[in-house]
Amino acid sequence: MELALYLGCTIPLKMPHLEKAFRDVASIMDLKLKEMEGVSCCPEPVSLQSLNIDTWVTLGARNLAIAENMGCDILTICSGCYETLKTVSVLLEEDEEYLKKINAILKKINYTYTGKTKVYHFVELFSQPDWLDKIKNLVVKPLDDLNLAVHYGCHLVRPSKIMRFDHPEKPEKIDIILEALGAKTVEFATKLECCGFCARLQEEIGMKLVEDKMTELSELEEEVDGLIAVCPACTSQYDRKEKIIARKTGKKLEIPVLYLAEIMAIALGVDLEDLSLKNRSVKPNKLIEKLTI
Amino acid sequence: MTEMIKKNANDLDRNFRYEISKKVGAKSLLNCIQCGVCSSGCTVTEYVDMQPHRVVASCLLGLKDEVLASQAIWTCSLCHRCTERCPKNVDYSFILALLRNMSVKEGKIPKEYSGSVVTIYNNGYVVPYTGGLKDNIDRRRNRMGLPQLIPPNLDEIRLIIEETGLGELAKKKKGEE
Repeated sequence: MELALYLGCTIPLKMPHLEKAFRDVASIMDLKLKEMEGVSCCPEPVSLQSLNIDTWVTLGARNLAIAENMGCDILTICSGCYETLKTVSVLLEEDEEYLKKINAILKKINYTYTGKTKVYHFVELFSQPDWLDKIKNLVVKPLDDLNLAVHYGCHLVRPSKIMRFDHPEKPEKIDIILEALGAKTVEFATKLECCGFCARLQEEIGMKLVEDKMTELSELEEEVDGLIAVCPACTSQYDRKEKIIARKTGKKLEIPVLYLAEIMAIALGVDLEDLSLKNRSVKPNKLIEKLTI
Repeated sequence: MTEMIKKNANDLDRNFRYEISKKVGAKSLLNCIQCGVCSSGCTVTEYVDMQPHRVVASCLLGLKDEVLASQAIWTCSLCHRCTERCPKNVDYSFILALLRNMSVKEGKIPKEYSGSVVTIYNNGYVVPYTGGLKDNIDRRRNRMGLPQLIPPNLDEIRLIIEETGLGELAKKKKGEE
């Protein structure tokens, strides 16, 4: 099964190093991907949905229609894109009248969406048993000595009536992937807390949420080597704010934040020089050292 | 704390609840039993002027002006725990999106939310991708060995934005820049 790779905006335009890591992983795992031409922003679920639900759904349906024309389902690498495209696909699958209304607009630009495109996040794919076996067979640098904390984020798993793939309050799919790479994952109280990136009106909300999570992780008995996220917004939120908070409060917060595809790439043997691991506020030097001893 | 709302019964908008519940996905509003589970799990509950269960109660009562003027409908972090946990399947995060849409129609849009449609209207992406910015992005991608991006046809994106009612906002903002 070939999947259409939907990149979104933030990763290809602002954080292409995450795309690079993902493409390297996909290539090692022999995951067949097709490039999508002419897709727009998903569009992002926070402000576009807030401004006008119909605009949000129609732009999303146009992207789904492009995949449909390619004869492919969609693979996303960002939780925001996943939320938008999956929600739009489910809404339109369940409501024929609404699909008609959206198609009336799409028709003016020569698109039709019949409602068949399925949308996946790469976590959803790689956590399936056959892919986990493949990962285990391909690991060249096992993460045996690492304790990793997982940040699921909100949009990957909720609302479960739409996302339908992991437990909405006790998810495990990312942990399973990291375990297949050899790592240990830690349990912690704030594991399911939101990163606060989408709370746009008040910066202090994000600051407080990041401080709470990073403080807890820094004080755990077992030292945490890294926080792993699967969304560019969560990844940059923790990475940037952690350093700011450390400076402001004097707390010792030094946990590097990595995108799941980056830690996968490391374990699957991608040359570290090809990954832009220094491109963040807390550099994962200690984590890398642990793996090379 | 929320201040007590005093309102004459004749000034309530009794149709407000149906204005919401007739929309796709929002019928669930009418199921609310005011248990407060949404508010107890809410990520931003300490920061809002009206907690989720009170927003729902106010919608049911017909306090339209108060709801649409509240900061609460824009403060949400979209974590979806309210929707996930509601024992009566009230889809609060979706209802909030509808309330925001209504507020936008009345011209009340926080600046943190109004810019994205302009950027998408002008770039197709929610990140600027024209002129020198585009050159920088393309160079960086090229250095990493990533494929050239094939951006959307902007006429198509603009038609969708205009047909669904955000054209004026997208263009007006552009004029102000």
